[in-house]
Amino acid sequence: MDKQFQLSNRLKTACIVLIVIGLIALAYGFFTSTQQTWANILLNNYYFVSLSIGAAFFLALQYITQSGWSAMFKRVPEAMNFYLPAGALLMLLLYFGMHHLYHWSHHDAAAHDALIRHKAPYLNTPFFYIRLVVFFALWIWMSLTLRKLSLREDTEGGLALFEKSELYSKIYIFIIAITFSLASFDWIMSIDVHWYSTLFALKNFVTAFYHGTAVIVLIAILLHQQGHYPGLNKSHLLDFSRYLFMLSIVWGYFFFAQFMLIWYSNIPEETIYFYRQWHGGYKVIFYVNVVANWFIPFILLLARRMDQNIQVVKWVSILLVFGFWIDLYTQIFPGTVISPRFGFIEIGSFLGFAGLFTLITAWALSRAPLIPRNHPYLEESLQHHVES
Amino acid sequence: MNIIGVFNEETQLVDALHELKEQKVSIDEVYTPYPVHHVFELLERKTSFTWWAFAYGFMAVVLVLSFLYYTSVIDWPLNFGGKPSSAFPSFIVITIILTIFSITILSLFTFSVMAVLYPGKKAVMPDERATDDKFVVVLRGQGQEAETARLGDILRTHGAAEVYEK
Repeated sequence: MDKQFQLSNRLKTACIVLIVIGLIALAYGFFTSTQQTWANILLNNYYFVSLSIGAAFFLALQYITQSGWSAMFKRVPEAMNFYLPAGALLMLLLYFGMHHLYHWSHHDAAAHDALIRHKAPYLNTPFFYIRLVVFFALWIWMSLTLRKLSLREDTEGGLALFEKSELYSKIYIFIIAITFSLASFDWIMSIDVHWYSTLFALKNFVTAFYHGTAVIVLIAILLHQQGHYPGLNKSHLLDFSRYLFMLSIVWGYFFFAQFMLIWYSNIPEETIYFYRQWHGGYKVIFYVNVVANWFIPFILLLARRMDQNIQVVKWVSILLVFGFWIDLYTQIFPGTVISPRFGFIEIGSFLGFAGLFTLITAWALSRAPLIPRNHPYLEESLQHHVES
Repeated sequence: MNIIGVFNEETQLVDALHELKEQKVSIDEVYTPYPVHHVFELLERKTSFTWWAFAYGFMAVVLVLSFLYYTSVIDWPLNFGGKPSSAFPSFIVITIILTIFSITILSLFTFSVMAVLYPGKKAVMPDERATDDKFVVVLRGQGQEAETARLGDILRTHGAAEVYEK
């Protein structure tokens, strides 16, 4: 039915080369501009943790809705979840760079600033790390539980394991809803410590789901082009691109809702966030963000014929890989590095993290059959056919 | 006189439609209790409906935005807290709402025209059991005994519960 995915030496070498480039870029960065390097580490690590969480949510959603069409591809989001332990370790490294990123973490910040003092019982360094550890522990534990059930299903079969997975998925999405919201407040929103947005958590969650799905689609298509997933047909592509199309609208909606309310109410403590972006040299990137993450996917995936074109879906997904980076760039850089910078540190560190993520995901994919064996909806997925 | 075949099962219907298509018989119409994907494909019905919806949406966006621009910038500019008259972000929400509204209403009329539907129209229903649990195929009769018998045989071999002329 399928051939086992092998982590080839070529891929392994390529990933290690990318990781080495990343390490060189970070080392170079620490010698030239430390703050910018820490901002890059936060950006890239948050990027790939978001992808993992998006993938976990995608997987949980398939169980909860008992979707048949996607049963074949569930190893891909499972494999993406394996980045979480690495992401946890790298996030803990932030301890050494906190003062470069978070103004509230300075000892004297609370003394001179009433607002930071007000937030201090929640936003202080020890509690920040306690939360971080709890979040990652919950995510890793839940992802491992789902993975174990999925592997047991391969050998044992039966409906009981599927029903158990469904139950755990229901718990998992509640955990993600709460913990990922708080995580995005902690890691990203607290950069601009005086600023807040009630839509921030939703927007970042939707971004994680959106771009996580894009990467799942990209991996599935790349594997298909390598000769795996021979059953991937136009109906699967249509469903994948419907996900992307729907999420592009939701992303655009939340992006615009957050922007419009702040722009319209025109309260200085809120508008400072966009003032920094528009007048700090980020205005072009601000528009590129909207075009790359909403406009192009929306227009390209509007027609059904385009939805079923494997090249279109693949290149939209690749565009979204860059779009996500731009989205995070506009969220993190104005508050830390202030003026926009782009060079070897940005490119190199992204390549390094991408190499790490690819290596972990490919390794996890090679550890289990690419197509699950006894999934109750597997046959429906293999025979998936909708009118076109 | 049309030939009408009544099926009990969806699979039998789809099999019969495949056979009819292979034999190059033109199928007039199919009535099913619920939408069946294969039927749409086998009948090869093409529709320009989605393009009309897109055209209405595009037209609505252009019209609504130009209307808002005319009223709030050209005809009667007002100063709202020092904001520019051409406050584009605040135009978007009403544009989305009115676009959806225009697409809905105009699509309804377009659909009614395409399907020749109007208030008080009598339902076209060769076999009323299609609204219960039966699948009904309507073939255009050729007026020849032999041809009618052949089509009836095709339907029966694939499990038609009844074949009759009407």
